[in-house]
Amino acid sequence: MEGASYQRFPEIKIREMRDDFMKFELRKTDSSMANALRRVMIAEVPTVAVDLVEIEVNSSVLNDEFIAHRLGLIPLTSERAMAMRFSRDCDACDGDGQCEYCSVEFHLRAKCIGDQTLDVTSKDLLSSDHTVTPVDFSEAPATEDATDNRGIIIVKLRKGQELKLRAIARKGIGKDHAKWSPAATVTFMYEPEILINDDLMESLSLEQKKDWVESSPTKVFDIDPNTQQVVVVDPEAYTYDDEVIKKAEAMGKSGLVEIYPKEDSFIFTVESTGAVKAPLLLLNAIEVLKQKLDAVRLPEDSVDADDFGELGAHMRGG
Amino acid sequence: MNAPDRYERFVVPEGVKKVSYERDTKIINAASFTIEREDHTIGNILRMQLHRDPNVLFAGYKLPHPLQYKILVRIHTTSQSSPTQAYNQSINDLDKELDCLKSAFEAEVARFTSDY
Repeated sequence: MEGASYQRFPEIKIREMRDDFMKFELRKTDSSMANALRRVMIAEVPTVAVDLVEIEVNSSVLNDEFIAHRLGLIPLTSERAMAMRFSRDCDACDGDGQCEYCSVEFHLRAKCIGDQTLDVTSKDLLSSDHTVTPVDFSEAPATEDATDNRGIIIVKLRKGQELKLRAIARKGIGKDHAKWSPAATVTFMYEPEILINDDLMESLSLEQKKDWVESSPTKVFDIDPNTQQVVVVDPEAYTYDDEVIKKAEAMGKSGLVEIYPKEDSFIFTVESTGAVKAPLLLLNAIEVLKQKLDAVRLPEDSVDADDFGELGAHMRGG
Repeated sequence: MNAPDRYERFVVPEGVKKVSYERDTKIINAASFTIEREDHTIGNILRMQLHRDPNVLFAGYKLPHPLQYKILVRIHTTSQSSPTQAYNQSINDLDKELDCLKSAFEAEVARFTSDY
């Protein structure tokens, strides 16, 4: 008994796309899907992060656990994380979490010998696997002074101080600990639809129009210098603050403008930590959400005689 | 240290079913599904998808307690359908929607990179 399908066919349009940032429009779906994607991107797309640190020598000013915590928060390139195993269900190492299928080893050795303070950064973390390395933004053309870009500072060493350690990075998700979250921020907003009542607007003097345009805390409206008409310059700058509507009412011109959120149209911004590139983050989120849905399917054997519907329920004395 | 393991929040314990369902004793075609180790992410999309089905008279979900890592989904349908049928159909539809979204995004990435 196959029921009718009530599937939606969402549409997507990219506005901006860089490795660490993406802005796109999502249409023809509802807020539950938009929010599910946002939640999955933040908390359930897997990445790799330092999870175990063995410190051999630490004569720096920071204590061992402080350094271990800082190492954990360094984003590591995690393109491979989707295919990796979680240490807790890795057969190869009995959940030990130290084998090649579920972990990556890092080494760090630094000693300050000169009088100059030595910065120990993420670039001093040497990986055993070239696909998993600390995220490096210095190749990005946007940064002008690439010469002194030395990665993320872990600790500063004075003359004679030393740091020597071994770190194990493992796969994890943001739900477990925020260090595994690949997303810096993910937001979405409803696309606003702004309708100006032109007849009512023309009943305003130029001074009143200016006053009304100024009442919006963000620059949504402006006055065309040629025609002196109020025009919408940036509908997305509107923050649903209702200030322009209140202003119109205070001026005795209620209904001057009507603003509706389009409930099937969303504007997303995705900022990545660099662990997973922004476009891949969305693709991984879709994949993770599919896996989650697959996991909540009813197992075949539990779909019992229920297909008889009402009759089946009656037969059981329902 | 008696802190529970962090992964208890999202790993289904051994011997526990991911999804179990219980038919309502008083109303025909009504049932409650208990989904272990899931939250609003799944609960809300399932509920909204079930609302699209005209045979579903009621669909709702709740997270009973923030420290009990499970959700309850309650479905009541007309006699033309059944809670399990509506539940399976909604998962199939969501799965197809995500397939559609994935291919739409891949096509858009290809278009975007060739344009700029």
